Amino acid sequence: MSGKTSRRRQLLQFRWKEYGMGYLFMLPWMIGFVAFVAFPIGWSLWNSFNQVFITSEGFKYTWVGLSNFRRMLVENNAYPIILITYLQEVLLIIPLILIFSFFVSLLLNEKFPGRGWMRALFFLPVIFATGQVIMELFVQGAGELPFMEQYNLDVILRQYFNESTANMLLGILGKAVIILWYSGVQILIFIAGFQTIPKTVYEAVRVDGASPWESFWKITFPGMLPFIGLNAVYTIVDLFTFPFNPVLEIVRNNMFSPTTGYGYASAMAWLYFAIVLVLLGITLWLTYRATKGRGELR
Amino acid sequence: MLLTFRRKFRFPRMMLFVFLAAVGIFMLLPIIFLVNNAFKPLNEMFLFPPRIFVQNPTMYNFEQMFLHSSAGVVPFSRYLFNSAVIATITTLAVIVVSTMAGYVLSKHRFHFKALIMGTVMIALMFTPETVSIPRYLIVSGLGLKDSYLAHVLPFLASPVAVFLMKQFIDQIPNSLIEAAKLDGAPDMYIFLRIIIPLTSPAVATAGIITFQIVYMDVEASSLYMTKETMKTLSYYAEAMTQNIPGVAQISIAAAIGLLMFVPNLIIFLIFQRKMIQTMLHSGVK
Repeated sequence: MSGKTSRRRQLLQFRWKEYGMGYLFMLPWMIGFVAFVAFPIGWSLWNSFNQVFITSEGFKYTWVGLSNFRRMLVENNAYPIILITYLQEVLLIIPLILIFSFFVSLLLNEKFPGRGWMRALFFLPVIFATGQVIMELFVQGAGELPFMEQYNLDVILRQYFNESTANMLLGILGKAVIILWYSGVQILIFIAGFQTIPKTVYEAVRVDGASPWESFWKITFPGMLPFIGLNAVYTIVDLFTFPFNPVLEIVRNNMFSPTTGYGYASAMAWLYFAIVLVLLGITLWLTYRATKGRGELR
Repeated sequence: MLLTFRRKFRFPRMMLFVFLAAVGIFMLLPIIFLVNNAFKPLNEMFLFPPRIFVQNPTMYNFEQMFLHSSAGVVPFSRYLFNSAVIATITTLAVIVVSTMAGYVLSKHRFHFKALIMGTVMIALMFTPETVSIPRYLIVSGLGLKDSYLAHVLPFLASPVAVFLMKQFIDQIPNSLIEAAKLDGAPDMYIFLRIIIPLTSPAVATAGIITFQIVYMDVEASSLYMTKETMKTLSYYAEAMTQNIPGVAQISIAAAIGLLMFVPNLIIFLIFQRKMIQTMLHSGVK
């Protein structure tokens, strides 16, 4: 009897050690998170159901339920349109970024002279893809690809393709800079991902007579699926928190406007985040589904 | 995969190199533009269509910048010092905190793990702008205004860094950690000697990302700091480019744009070498 309890105590002790370690390591992050992320987010959710006024004594809340959401969808003539246009744009860019970065990282994984420098070059845009540098660049017109106008690319494309194809190509070219700049981290993650596939597997399938093409689709691609998922998530996050994001600009403008106020702006932000979350959920679910059956990674 | 391919053909390898170089140069254009712009005289800045390369380089923009900065109350070096201290401390702190969190999220068992991962995902979505007012209230409520802590703490719980770390640590085989445990290694030893070295690519990535976010941030300076001596270089740069009227603004903006960019570039060059080295020789499988 006593032996049983002592064993149980030992198990508890072991469990507690394992769990305690987890909590201890989690703690610093949790404190920072609760204070500066979770609590403000919760607050803004509460705000989105209220009419908030900033007075000299502080904040004044009036509970209005869902009326903020109704007002911005029905009465506001800019928000829904901008939201939908931006969503379409992002949905087009995400696969482009993923395909481009996968392709480039595949090439960068090859051995050739100057590979280290080339990798550094492709990762370089990461350091100016956020914040003020990108602002400065766009203000100064560098993001617009000056040579597109200089060499009349527009006219040439329209000459050789029909209207809709030309427009699509121009749209993609116009976003080329964004695609290139936003591929840095993704390329890096992909290259790191390639290292996780053992060389011996390639040797084995080569001995079995598989062509490079087959070994790509049978070995490389399935092995990279978790990384594609990770990159998709990263890209979505990156694009939806982009500093020039027109949706966030509207939110910011409404925040201090006397007619709408902070509650209204919070409601706008929350609808936006809800859409992004659904998108993320779908991505994660697809990744999970695609990798589950193979018993590889998680 | 392409290994056999390459042995058969030498020509594709050349094509590969040329293609990558072309795309790479294309990617470098904005930086070339930024550098050139800083040395352009005024009349070239207003050319339409804009040119990438400078024709008659001058130091005029920098002269203008120093002229305006010497008129300020707080010396330039103070802003520089603030930025250096804040960016260094925050980057180190974020790396430590998020690696710890990523490690236990990936390799330990404890309650609410799924819940925490869920909140990390949700938090990824939130840009600082949307929660700036509640954050301000918290910072002032904690009495952190006008202290370095207010610069550092809001960035500490970075969901992006934790997410990257967790994903990377997932790739480290459990057997490695089990082996260390059987040999009697305490958790701290496993963390410091196994996890940290194996995740150095992710550490470098998270480090670069955090550094640039912190270095470029103006929110903390403009909202939480009332004393001019506690503000950072990026705030100063923004104030300079916005408050000065007329044409001088554009030339100062060009010069400051370059100056702000240089530290980022240096950090990048330092970290990227390590990153690529570790990527090549890492034991991550």
